[in-house]
Amino acid sequence: MTVSYLDNLMAALRCLPGVGPKSAQRMAYHLLQRDRVGALQLASALQKAASNVQHCSKCNNFSELEVCELCASTRRDEGQLCVVEMPADLLMIEQAQCYRGMYYVLMGRLSPLDGIGAKQLHLERLVKRVQQHPCEVILATNFTVEGDATAHYLATLLQSLGVRVSRIARGLPVGGELEQVDSGTLAQAVLERRELTV
Amino acid sequence: MTAASRQNRQQDELAFILHSHPFRETSLLLDVFSRHHGRLAIVARGARRPRSALRGVLMGFQPVTLSWFGKGEVRTLHSAEWQGGQPYLQGTALMCGFYLNELLVNLLGRDDAHEQLFDYYRATLQRLAHEADHAATLRCFEKHLLQELGYALELEREAGSRQPVLAEARYRYVIEHGVVADDGRMDGFPISGKTLLAMTADDYSDPQVAQQSKQLMRVLINHHLGGRVLHTRELVKDLQKL
Repeated sequence: MTVSYLDNLMAALRCLPGVGPKSAQRMAYHLLQRDRVGALQLASALQKAASNVQHCSKCNNFSELEVCELCASTRRDEGQLCVVEMPADLLMIEQAQCYRGMYYVLMGRLSPLDGIGAKQLHLERLVKRVQQHPCEVILATNFTVEGDATAHYLATLLQSLGVRVSRIARGLPVGGELEQVDSGTLAQAVLERRELTV
Repeated sequence: MTAASRQNRQQDELAFILHSHPFRETSLLLDVFSRHHGRLAIVARGARRPRSALRGVLMGFQPVTLSWFGKGEVRTLHSAEWQGGQPYLQGTALMCGFYLNELLVNLLGRDDAHEQLFDYYRATLQRLAHEADHAATLRCFEKHLLQELGYALELEREAGSRQPVLAEARYRYVIEHGVVADDGRMDGFPISGKTLLAMTADDYSDPQVAQQSKQLMRVLINHHLGGRVLHTRELVKDLQKL
C-alpha cells in the first residue's frame, strides 16, 4: 500500500520541534479542513525560504543575499565584532541600540552533554573572518554554563591568533533592586565588582 | 492535599543540576543529581519565561534545594532555592565540571541514591574552583565514582594470589579481574607497581603516575561506558591543540 498524501503531511509536520504524532494530526486536519489558503501560503513560504535563505558569508546569520544587509552597511564599525549564539540575540543587541560594530552568529553553543563540540559549530568562518579583518572581538554568548564554556573556547582560540577578546559584563539588571534580585546574580555581581574612579 | 500526593512530594532536597534541555515552549527538563534520591528527571515549568525567577537558580555546578512532586519518571518542580558557597567554575575548571557531569549522566542510573558520591561530587567542584591542577582531582573522582557504582578497584594487591603490590615490580591491570604480575602476556593494561600504590594513596604528584593513572582510568571508564563517547574529552583535546 502506498502512503497517502495525508499520512505524508503528518509525517512531514513531525520534523518541527515539540510536534508529536497527535499535534501533527491536529495541524494536518486543521490545514486541510479549515484553512486551505493558509496551507498553500505555508507551502510556498517554506519552499521559498528553504531554497533561498542561506548563511551570510560574513556574519553567518540567515540571509537571502551572499552578504546580509547589516554586514553590507557602510555605517557600521568594522573594528568590533560581537559574537552571539543565535539570531534572536543579535536582534536584542540591535534593539538596545548600544552597539555599532559587526556581528558573528554562531548558530548554537558548545554543549558537550548534547554532543555539540567545536567541530559542530563550524568556527572556520569566524577564524577566517578575524584573520582577514583584524578587530576586537566581544563575546556575547549566554551566561549559562554552556555559554560560558563557549566563551572560554572562543577566547582560547582567538587569543592564540593574537586577537583582542572581551566578554560582556553580568550583574544586576538596570533599575534592579537588591531586594528583588536572585541570589546567584547578586553573588556574581559582588564577586565581579569593579573599582569606582571618580 | 491528599495523603497520596503528600507522599509523592519532596521538600527542600539538596541537589545539583547536571544538565537541562528546553522543553515545550517555556519549560526546562532538568537532569538532577539529588543527595537523597539520586538522579532524577524534573520538569521546571515556565523556567524559560523572560522574567522567571528560576533562571538564575537552576544553574549547573551550583548547589540548590529543590522541592518537587509526582511519582512518574518525570517529576514536576515546585520550587528551587539557591544555596551558594560554590564559586562559579571558569575556564578549564568549567570543562572539567562538564566532564564530571557527563560521567554521572552516562553511568548513574535513575532513582538510585548515592549520598557519599553526592558529597564527593560537591567537594570535587570545590577543589576544581580553588585548585589549579585538575588532573589529580579528576582521577580521585573517577576512582570514587567506580567504587560507588560497585566496581571498586583493588590496586594494592594482586588478584587471586592476594600478594601485596611492590613498588618496583611491573604489573598488568586486566578489566573485571584486577592486578596481575606482568609475565609477558599481552592482555590487560601495563602499569607499574609504583603507580598502583600511588593511586591507592590518591597521590598523583609524580608525572609518570599521573600519565599512567589517566590512561588506566580511561580504559576502565570506556569499558563501563560500553561504546558511548564522552564529548567533553573531545572538546578538551581540541582546546589543548589551540
